[in-house]
Amino acid sequence: MKIHNLFEDGKSFIPVTGDPLQAPATETLQPTAENIRRGQQELKKLSIDAIIGIMDAFARDLMRVDHPLANVTREMGTGYIPLWMRRANLEKLCDLSVNGNRKSLDQFEILGNIESRKFRAQPRGTVVHWIAGNVPVLGMLSLLQGLLTKNANIIKAPSENAGLLPAMLESLSRFEWKTSAGVGVSGKILTDAVAVIYVDREDIEAERALSAIADVRIAWGNRTAVEAIMNLPRRFGTEDIIFGPKISFAVVGTEHLSSEDDASKVAHNLARDVIAFDQQGCNSPHNVFVERGSSVTPVGFARIFGDALGAAANRRPLREVTPADTIRILSVRAEYDIRGEAYYGKDIGWTVAYNEDESNLADPCYLRTVFVRPVDDIFDIPPLCSVNTQTAGLSVGERGMKLAEALTAQGVERCPAIGNMSLYDAPWDGMFPIERLVRWTSLG
Amino acid sequence: MTSATDNLLSRPPFSLNGTEKQKYLSGAVTESIAHHYENCPPYRKWMNKQGFAPSTAFDDLSEIPYLPAALFKHMDLVVGEQDDIVKILASSGVSSQIPSRVPIDNVTRTRQMKALTSVMSDFFGGKRRPFLLADVEPSRAEGNDVNLSARIAGMRGYLMAASQQVYILDDVENQPRLNESLLQKTVEDFKISGTPFSVLGYTYMVYKYVIQPLYEQGICLDFPEETFLLHFGGWKMLQDQAVTREILNEQASAVFGIPAGNVRDIYGFTEQLGVIYPDNGNGVKRTPCFSEVIVRDPLTLEPVPDGEYGLLEFITPLPNSYPGAALLLDDIGRIVTREPGPDGKHGTSFEIIGRAPESEVRGCGDTLPDHIYEISSDTN
Repeated sequence: MKIHNLFEDGKSFIPVTGDPLQAPATETLQPTAENIRRGQQELKKLSIDAIIGIMDAFARDLMRVDHPLANVTREMGTGYIPLWMRRANLEKLCDLSVNGNRKSLDQFEILGNIESRKFRAQPRGTVVHWIAGNVPVLGMLSLLQGLLTKNANIIKAPSENAGLLPAMLESLSRFEWKTSAGVGVSGKILTDAVAVIYVDREDIEAERALSAIADVRIAWGNRTAVEAIMNLPRRFGTEDIIFGPKISFAVVGTEHLSSEDDASKVAHNLARDVIAFDQQGCNSPHNVFVERGSSVTPVGFARIFGDALGAAANRRPLREVTPADTIRILSVRAEYDIRGEAYYGKDIGWTVAYNEDESNLADPCYLRTVFVRPVDDIFDIPPLCSVNTQTAGLSVGERGMKLAEALTAQGVERCPAIGNMSLYDAPWDGMFPIERLVRWTSLG
Repeated sequence: MTSATDNLLSRPPFSLNGTEKQKYLSGAVTESIAHHYENCPPYRKWMNKQGFAPSTAFDDLSEIPYLPAALFKHMDLVVGEQDDIVKILASSGVSSQIPSRVPIDNVTRTRQMKALTSVMSDFFGGKRRPFLLADVEPSRAEGNDVNLSARIAGMRGYLMAASQQVYILDDVENQPRLNESLLQKTVEDFKISGTPFSVLGYTYMVYKYVIQPLYEQGICLDFPEETFLLHFGGWKMLQDQAVTREILNEQASAVFGIPAGNVRDIYGFTEQLGVIYPDNGNGVKRTPCFSEVIVRDPLTLEPVPDGEYGLLEFITPLPNSYPGAALLLDDIGRIVTREPGPDGKHGTSFEIIGRAPESEVRGCGDTLPDHIYEISSDTN
């Protein structure tokens, strides 16, 4: 067993772009686990509003153009973190997740109109986060929710971008927030409840040790990775939170296809959902169902959407692609050029594929490749859905409520407006993650 | 009338300098794609979408639209009449487990044989020599081994360069096994008569059933120094054993007693069968006059400067029955030089560093975009 220590006690032991295997290693997790549990005792003394306050202030600081991490944030595409950490978002997230009263994270509180009893959300203990490697900011999202619930946290970092999270945490540990009363609160109170480690994926002993200390196991990743984590032995009572592979799609009804202008507005919003993370998130749309029967036909929408996606891609060009991605996308382009219609630019940066005869959910191709599917009626779509479909972005006018009812009954978990599909909100994958990170207790 | 392709195939394979090759190869490729365009409606539709017609003038072969070779895994594309197809070639499905399906007519088949013979003949200086074949002679096989039939069929073209064929594996309970006594006796006979010979076979067959058993026994057969080991078919079947080119070359050199530079990997692919690229002993291959290589940037799709790595595209006029004149592969490589070699051979020298691995199946990488709070207007 070899545990590479990337962050602990407020210090990072790896450069931002460093190799995690070069970080100092130990053969036991125990001291780290004890250390963050001690840190957690101090974290528990902070109120939820203080935790939110320091996160909000740190987020504002991170947005300074001369912040030491400004370049890192820009180059690694993590600019959303300071936006997500803002007070309004965090307060809403916490309130939604703990029955409308986030103060129940601090003390016994009355919830709803039951005055005879009080309720308190206690932290579960130690949360171990297994983070997927394809999007470097996952760890922060997962961790922030672990801190908002006052848990001790161990992040098992992916090998790619392993130094990013330690760098942000070190910056937070040095940050101090002054309350309105002028009292200084150090970010180190938060980061002392956190360790970031790296273990080789073949190191089963280390994986087992991680699982053994977890009160909550959070697993992000593909099916193989998630199943491997879930199959590790765990203690009785350990909670599992799985963010596994899912796919998402969009639906455009005739309500938004009466003119090219109408269709174009939807197309531009959809393009933003596609461009965000280059479709690597399970909330990213890969298919868009377009209803027949209005003046803009499905193939007409495909062309309009191609224009919108091309414009969006020009503003935010694709930065990286693997050779295998290129071949896969070129195959889709050629196949749809021949069997249907395909719209794309000169480079590999975006693709819209259309076939009059295909109405199924196409397998994702990723990297800004979208399949436009014609349907006679938007209510033909729900039977295509399952628990593997996560988000359905809707632009269907007044029929939204009825369609959402049908879609969610089939397994879909979110039905935001097209343009808002990429937002990380709660519930997510059918749950309020924060709610799963606490243990509900009652008094009276 | 002799076609431009046949004309090209009649020339020594490495005889045309850059300017001459551009002229003759461009003419043959134009003729080839005009045939595909006229006789394959799906290809015509695709070319029209690329804004390219056979009459379109071009300055460089890289301007010709190219199809991904992987398309033949998903679509049956036939040029001309289905009745003219005499064989469907299936690739090994190396990258994705789905094999390509390539329809072959007699014209294509003849061209493939001519092309392969041309390069093999050049390799051996125009002289045929005995081949020790790392396989089981079909007539001696005990069972009905479908793989064996496929292997022998795939080897047939190479055997045109053989003056004698000696199969050195036996079929023992449906498993190939090296016949060491036959091998040693045959080699002794060749040595006594002073006959130069070569060893030929699929890469994994050569390694697994010839080199590895001899190496593990510490046997060195002390072949004459001018003996070549030619292997082809790719490395996929050896991946599990972690056998690299270096390991194979080192062990082959040890058991055959030949310079490692005489171990030659022959590169080729089903979608342009017939065009083969033996390496020069250092991993560098050269395009003959009837083929050209272009290296493209995976992101911009533009050709990269010589020396830089990218996806390999090959252009050849050989395919008559399918639109495979310009194909982009998932192999990664670079152009080493366009200068003639010390042996005076012309052609673009290139090397391959590997195949693009299949992308990892992605999981949930849910995150928020930078513009998270630029909430769009509600379009519900």
